[in-house]
Amino acid sequence: MFRIDRRLLLHFDWVLVALAALLIGAGLLTLGSLVPRLLMRQLVWLGVGVVGGLVLISIDYRTLARWAYVAYLGGLGLLAAVLVLGRAAQGARRWLSVGPFTLQPSELFKLILLTTVAAYLAARERERPGWDRVILPLCLVAPAFLLIVKQPDLGTALVLVPVVAALLFVGGARWRDLAILAGGALAAAPAFWFILRDYQRERLLVYLDPFRDPLGSAWNVIQAKITIGSGQLLGKGLFGGTQSRLAFLPERHTDFIFAAFAESWGFMGAIALLAVYGLLAMRGLEVAATARDALGSLLAAGATVLLVSQALVNIGMVTGLLPVVGIPLPMVSYGGSALLTALGAVALIENVRMRRFV
Amino acid sequence: MSLRVGRSQPLDHHRRLVLLAIGLAAGFLAIGAQLAYLQIVTGNRLAELSDKNRIRLRTVTAPRGILFDRNGLPLVENRPAFTLAVVPRDADNLDAVLERLAGLLNLPAAELQERFARVPADSPWPVRLQRGLTLDEVSRVEEWRLELPGVAVEVESQRAYPSTRFAAHLLGYVREVSEADLARGRLRRGDLVGQSGLERLYDEYLRGRDGAEQMEVDAYGRPIRVLQRQEPLAGAHVYTTIDRRIQQAAEQALGPRNGAVVVMDPRNGDVLALVSNPAFPVERFNGPIDRATWASLVEDPARPLLNRAIQGEYAPGSLFKIIVAAAALQSQLFTPFDRLSCPKEWWFGGRAYHNWEDHDRGPLTLYEAIKFSCNTFFYQLGLKVGPERISRMAEAFGLGRPTGTGLIGERGGLVPSPAWKKRALRDKWHAGDTVSLSIGQGLITVTPLQVARFMAVVANGGALWKPRLVARVKALDGTALASEPAVEESRTEIAPVVLDFLRQALWAVVNDGGTGKGAMIPGVSIAGKTGTAQTHEFKSDAERKRRDQDNAWFAAFAPVEDPQVVVVVFAERAGLGGQVAAPIAREVFKAIFLERVAAAGLPG
Repeated sequence: MFRIDRRLLLHFDWVLVALAALLIGAGLLTLGSLVPRLLMRQLVWLGVGVVGGLVLISIDYRTLARWAYVAYLGGLGLLAAVLVLGRAAQGARRWLSVGPFTLQPSELFKLILLTTVAAYLAARERERPGWDRVILPLCLVAPAFLLIVKQPDLGTALVLVPVVAALLFVGGARWRDLAILAGGALAAAPAFWFILRDYQRERLLVYLDPFRDPLGSAWNVIQAKITIGSGQLLGKGLFGGTQSRLAFLPERHTDFIFAAFAESWGFMGAIALLAVYGLLAMRGLEVAATARDALGSLLAAGATVLLVSQALVNIGMVTGLLPVVGIPLPMVSYGGSALLTALGAVALIENVRMRRFV
Repeated sequence: MSLRVGRSQPLDHHRRLVLLAIGLAAGFLAIGAQLAYLQIVTGNRLAELSDKNRIRLRTVTAPRGILFDRNGLPLVENRPAFTLAVVPRDADNLDAVLERLAGLLNLPAAELQERFARVPADSPWPVRLQRGLTLDEVSRVEEWRLELPGVAVEVESQRAYPSTRFAAHLLGYVREVSEADLARGRLRRGDLVGQSGLERLYDEYLRGRDGAEQMEVDAYGRPIRVLQRQEPLAGAHVYTTIDRRIQQAAEQALGPRNGAVVVMDPRNGDVLALVSNPAFPVERFNGPIDRATWASLVEDPARPLLNRAIQGEYAPGSLFKIIVAAAALQSQLFTPFDRLSCPKEWWFGGRAYHNWEDHDRGPLTLYEAIKFSCNTFFYQLGLKVGPERISRMAEAFGLGRPTGTGLIGERGGLVPSPAWKKRALRDKWHAGDTVSLSIGQGLITVTPLQVARFMAVVANGGALWKPRLVARVKALDGTALASEPAVEESRTEIAPVVLDFLRQALWAVVNDGGTGKGAMIPGVSIAGKTGTAQTHEFKSDAERKRRDQDNAWFAAFAPVEDPQVVVVVFAERAGLGGQVAAPIAREVFKAIFLERVAAAGLPG
């Protein structure tokens, strides 16, 4: 299975790898300047992620798709296990302990769900799209979504929304059905409200209006804005970031790492980082457009949206455009599970790209 | 690029990918624009703010909700108070600042420093040092302002009590959040939290939500302008079932004695008054309490922190005869027409058991035995009925488990039974245990609130109510946040004739020359039962006669024909129930039935 065809290596896309490497490099640099003691852990995760990515690349995506449903069931089991056995921190059960490291199954499950929905849609590709093209994939998504909300990990659950929407869209769902779905989701939102526990509601309200919690989220947002803005055009240099270094900025190496980066490198640096994501998006969608088959196209498009929409939401939140949702910046934020997932997504795109002629 | 043929809709597929790309591009553009705005347009200003870290955050404390009595009179109020705080980041030399403050305000410097033990030295959050500063102290701090960088005086609303010990246990006290509560989250260091009583039970509602101000400050930490302000949301009002007038009357009636008074409405379980003595001075707990005061309260042998009405577990003494009588009649092992002897001492198992009176009253009916509270009669009756029936009846009256007020530390007392003794003590139940149980002595214990509830069952004809302390919670704008309906926990399966009989016998205790005549009031028909519970073995006959170390009980309800109120008095180590507790209950009844008493007192 690991025997690699020479032709595949020939078509290996170094541009994609280079873009990923730039992002990871920016993340490690920022992490090293802020919390050097965590650098080693992140490097270990990087090693694991690279090996995992290579394994993922070496298996034909069509083979992966055949196993998708099995992985899907296993993943659901893991999510259920988290609720029972998981390590609780800050009022949530999201993590499973693996030796000294902790794993967040909901992160990795994003890849599994993406593959499963893509496999389903690709299998039905030749049929005339009907209602079921929208409904059945949603039946796959719903149980996982509920399990993740229950942890509770609203951030991760919300990230699934654009990915699934993009898959349905690219997968040929009718415009009418998509419109009905969007309308239905809006109408169902109030019902969803009643399922939530009190503090989850409160958190949701804080997402929508950070100034409900002026000492928490609102403080984070205004500090993040000051941090970013004070970087001005050229930045304060790698170790010159006073805001982030003096611990004014909360979660400065995880969800808010973009603020620290923008403080150090200024507008030029921030735009450059944004550009790397932009290039990643273009490359990913190009892979989707030139893929050998519908499955490849869907996988590449889904993985691209997974990476890019997370990046956009994260930066949008840090710059104060969007409410505060706790999701990391792919490949840049500190955190093992998120890095594994991001590398997995890159590997999926590469997988499709390499095999476009095979 | 190979556009493959043979796909169903390749063109549409590609068009959709392009649309997706456009959608993502829009996101990138929006973020790029925001970055330009932050870093280029407002960059200078934000850089200036960041240079000096000139943004300060200050909580604007939400005023705590008010606790009202059943008639809408406040049981506790708020008043503005000054709080001294220090922002560690702004204090160039924290130790020196604290030293100066300690000198200025006469506070122990070591305790001030302790408050910073868990706070980072560059924290931008104010740490509250002392609440309830006097105006004089505030002006002293302001005078030295320039020597005290980082020091701030905030205005907060603080609890104000009508009198220092009024309903202390019931209302509870408010104090700075403890480390244990902090660890549970949702609260911030320095927050005031209800720590006992209703303040704790309804803390979520009473607390409200703090607001905050983001301020720009100068190099001295003085505010220049407010950048953003979030108004606090005041706490909700809690409407209790307490009647302030009755609570005051009960406290006055109990006077300086240690003990408890509970007043309950037998028709719905509403608690009208809940008194425990000695009380603690509530307002002393508001600020940081000094160690000596705390130690003196905790170590005081009179245990002022104990809420005797719900946390004190005491032998019920002769009050329990009501339950023994109920069990006897209900099981039909004894009828109102049967008689048993009432000697001054009764021999059983080679041992003399005494009555509390020194003469033989001859054979008595149950009615008379209750009236005279004859111990020797009830020893025999208890043996006849047996311990299982008695303990079952006690449980039917709600004894042996907490009443479910939710107040912290509520105890359930203990109803012993042969099965329980075997399980818990690994010991056999002896006939002597039954003898003790028959007069409410030995292992059995109750709380005064449990007694009120069980007297209510007798009074109302069988309904065991969950005591209700709070009727509803209302937000400031009048919207109801919670309402607590009266809850009937269970209906005691006792024949109405039995309860009728008990009510008559209890009326006789007060009004027909029984042990409770000390509670009699013209114009109000009171029914009740005295209890005098031995707190230790008598060492001599002289001690048996004196009995000044006994717990005195009196539990009563009125008016007998239509019971509206139950009054339970417990006086610790005070003497005989009839002599000590009954007159206290009388005062409480007098206050409750003011008009009737006045009417009865009028000539003609």
